[in-house]
Amino acid sequence: MLDIKDLTVRYNSMGRVTDAVNGISLSVEKGSFTGLVGESGSGKSTLMMALLGLLPPRTEVKGKILFNGTDILRMSDREIRDMRWKEIALVPQGAQNSFTPVMKIKSHISEVLCVHLKMPGDEAERETARLLSEVGLDPGIKERYPHELSGGQKQRASIALALACSPSLLLADEPTTALDVIVQAEILELLSNLRKTKGLSILLVTHDLPLAATVCDRLVVMKDGIIAETGTPSEIVRDPKHPHTKDLVREMFGQRDKK
Amino acid sequence: MMDRKVVETSKVTVSFRSKRGDIHKAVNDISLSLSRGETLAVVGGSGSGKTSLLRALIGLVRPNAGHVILYGKYLSQLGKDGLAEVRQRCGYVQQDPYGAIPPGLTALEAVCEPAVIAGVRTGREEIRERAVSLLAELGLKGERILGSRAAGLSGGQRQRVQIARALMLSPGILLCDEPTSMQDASTRGEVIEVLAKHVADGTAMIFVTHDLVLAGRAAERIMVMKEGFLCEEGPSDKILNAPDDPYTIKLINSVPSFGKITA
Repeated sequence: MLDIKDLTVRYNSMGRVTDAVNGISLSVEKGSFTGLVGESGSGKSTLMMALLGLLPPRTEVKGKILFNGTDILRMSDREIRDMRWKEIALVPQGAQNSFTPVMKIKSHISEVLCVHLKMPGDEAERETARLLSEVGLDPGIKERYPHELSGGQKQRASIALALACSPSLLLADEPTTALDVIVQAEILELLSNLRKTKGLSILLVTHDLPLAATVCDRLVVMKDGIIAETGTPSEIVRDPKHPHTKDLVREMFGQRDKK
Repeated sequence: MMDRKVVETSKVTVSFRSKRGDIHKAVNDISLSLSRGETLAVVGGSGSGKTSLLRALIGLVRPNAGHVILYGKYLSQLGKDGLAEVRQRCGYVQQDPYGAIPPGLTALEAVCEPAVIAGVRTGREEIRERAVSLLAELGLKGERILGSRAAGLSGGQRQRVQIARALMLSPGILLCDEPTSMQDASTRGEVIEVLAKHVADGTAMIFVTHDLVLAGRAAERIMVMKEGFLCEEGPSDKILNAPDDPYTIKLINSVPSFGKITA
């Protein structure tokens, strides 16, 4: 469903040029759970922003991003706006802080339903309750303000928000940072279940290789703007090929060389 | 013989009162004791009282019951100056590296600052050299990084600046609150090694984290807390390999690991 071909993204900022993504090609199959793993600065967030057409102006972009056959990079703003949320939705990094503090949870979700799907207000409110229960929250939470929710509840609510327009591809950018391990496991289980029940494709962006390896069916390891390695989690963990992946795997097994 | 014990608590309880007047007990009856060269990890989910316990150990919150003895002194009996004196011998790496570094200082100045405040009498050059070497140990080198103010550093870099700052006065105890939460996999191991080196040199360390596996790498003993209460405590190997408490088992099972790969 998603076919990225030879994508290069170069930022020009105050005379400084940064090659954030350097000629990567990658495809994501329908219904797959792909883990995009890389450290800070590896280009994973840039790649995600490119998929949503959200790169800053004056960014040099080359290559193709084919989504169901259409090149996102050549879409008009209007076409991209129609695609965003309905086809590709984002669970942003730091979702806990992505809600407006003065708006109730229901206003966040209803707004999306009204704007993107032209849903009337009362129907949007019913749909909001349904979405919240779909992600395992008590629908009554819609009457609460963001600060009245725990970190895990906010993360679930942000997933409900991303699901509002029934997208086919969900981009989850570090969806479990700032959550404790038990809540983290619950959120990952929720994503796995949604993928099965709704036939969603999920692209999980994380710096945590073991986390991605336990939930995803395919891993893409990025390093310095290029793809270091792709494979199933067991292939990558048993027999990492790229030196960077080898380091990560060794580090995770706690057998890192002392030198 | 020099007393190697750094901190001791007996049945410490910390409560907070909410705006509505409800009393919330963040820490309940926690007793611990730590000497130089020893490491203890405090592990639990969000809201288990880990950070409140750490703050009580250096008098940033006052226990409602029980007492804390730091370097042989009852914290409750110390005045402002006495408290400042014992605190200077503690390195505290707080959870949020964004709020921990004075925004106007460069990385290098921030690491030198504790020595300046403490009125260390060695020359400025020596203070600077120590700061540079601590930062280098933690992988922060070069004019560009050392001369950056906090805003120009990544979360992971700030966290390492903060650790160097905590180590500046060679504290007898390091209190680390999720000190590697913003590190990439490759730097996380390096930070743990640096901390271990200072422990080997005679510093005590309390390492707070919600990751039991990481706790096992960083500390020889683990204390598991849930909702302010002690669940269980013991040598790391025992807690990780033969836990007794159902909550500990849940925590272990929640940590992603290569052993759980299905695809």
